[in-house]
Amino acid sequence: MIQKKICILGAAGVGKTSLTAQFVYSKFSEKYLSTMGVKIDRKQVEVGNTSVNLMIWDIHGEEKYKKITTSYLRGASGIITVIDGTRPDTVPTALEILERVEQDLGIIPNVFLINKADLTDAWCIPNDTIEELAQHHQSTPVYKTSAKTGEHVEESFLKLAEMLIQS
Amino acid sequence: MNTNHMPSIIYQHMAKHHIQQFAPAWIKLEYDTATIKEVGGDWQHYFHKQPEIGSELHASCEILFGMLPITESFELPQVQLIQNQYTDISGIRHQNTDWVLFSDVTAHTLQMQQYQQASNELVLLKGQLKRTLNRYVGEEVLDRISKGDLQFDVAGERKLISTLFVDIRGFTPFNERHDAQVVMQTLNDYMDCMLPPILNEAGMIDKIMGDGAMAVFGVLSSDKEAVYNAFTAAKHILSSVKKLNQVRHSHDLEQLGVGIGIATGEAVLGILGSHDRRCFTAIGSHVNLASRLESTARVGEILVDAKSHQLLGEALIPTQLELKGIGKVTAYSCLHDILVYQYDI
Repeated sequence: MIQKKICILGAAGVGKTSLTAQFVYSKFSEKYLSTMGVKIDRKQVEVGNTSVNLMIWDIHGEEKYKKITTSYLRGASGIITVIDGTRPDTVPTALEILERVEQDLGIIPNVFLINKADLTDAWCIPNDTIEELAQHHQSTPVYKTSAKTGEHVEESFLKLAEMLIQS
Repeated sequence: MNTNHMPSIIYQHMAKHHIQQFAPAWIKLEYDTATIKEVGGDWQHYFHKQPEIGSELHASCEILFGMLPITESFELPQVQLIQNQYTDISGIRHQNTDWVLFSDVTAHTLQMQQYQQASNELVLLKGQLKRTLNRYVGEEVLDRISKGDLQFDVAGERKLISTLFVDIRGFTPFNERHDAQVVMQTLNDYMDCMLPPILNEAGMIDKIMGDGAMAVFGVLSSDKEAVYNAFTAAKHILSSVKKLNQVRHSHDLEQLGVGIGIATGEAVLGILGSHDRRCFTAIGSHVNLASRLESTARVGEILVDAKSHQLLGEALIPTQLELKGIGKVTAYSCLHDILVYQYDI
């Protein structure tokens, strides 16, 4: 079995903790609780014939006056960058974070999750933006996820695990 | 300050109150490795059993995977090792010795979390309100409201404006034939065709009245004449509705049409209502005229009054109308080729 550290990043309130809770514990809570610092969870997944123990670092949300501590990223093999599908301003925040990560760690496997897909009426990320994200570094997987319903959550984490094995 | 000069009783007092509350525990590592050389301090606070000398620190503290050996000093603030217990973890490289220090910062973090939570909730709420307002009044009005630029005198301000009324034709019988949920969804689909063109042409949606809407042009700044904006919005509404009807036609869904009336004139813009409940409104004789023109317009037709026609300078078809409460007027018609729903209605 191999062990890999991944970091889940994005603006505050995009659903990073909810996505992690859905993936690891298959649970969802409507209540918003702001993450302080970092919370670490583990989940073993199977990629082909390989068992991968994912250590998921759920890092506090990026805010105007509270940038992410880059020491959290040390040793990370992959990134999940989360965007809120109902808040277009979380797209530039995600890209800024990713740029800083890449300055520190170089280009490492990344998956974009555009979360809150269940809120169809409030959804405001145009398809053009999704296509631009998919072209990041020529090709980056983009998933519309819902931490609430579980839509594409498992699939997106497994995709990153697969990319970690291949990298 | 050099603590060596501090009287021991003072140092001990400070240590007791300020260091002990952090329950510090430290682990000395073999230089440039993850191998434990020494364990000290309040290790029980962080580990179920004492980390074994000679073992790898990863084995006792899995989260340090990827962080060791310490190549340079690092800080990992507020790590949740256990639910609701926060620990600052520091990696210290000093004089060819590596240390890992654990400090309990739960009390401080929980206090900070309350501020953080309140701040984040406010930011989310502000964004939510902004998006909701944006959907009703458009981005430009929203920006002007937030900057305090958009203010109306309660007594009213006189301005030359163009008023547009748009209404869905045949909606009442449609409503009677279908389930309320279907009606609501259909209404929203048609509103999606009607409202964005108004907002895109610097129009303000004054009222949404069941299956219709009233909008005013000329209140918000624009490079173009108000009437031109209103007429452009009207044409875009018709082409949007046509596209929607093509989709509905392909899904065997009933199609609906719209009629539009535009009139231009001086109006008093102001705030109407009581202290607790106020709304913006435009009052003027041409407003009523626009409403009557819309009632008379056929499916796919834009009817404009003489003043609008004169300002527009477009070649429209004149038509004599007898309007309820107004009398005989000459209006100008622009009937769009909206064949999909003309065939089906």
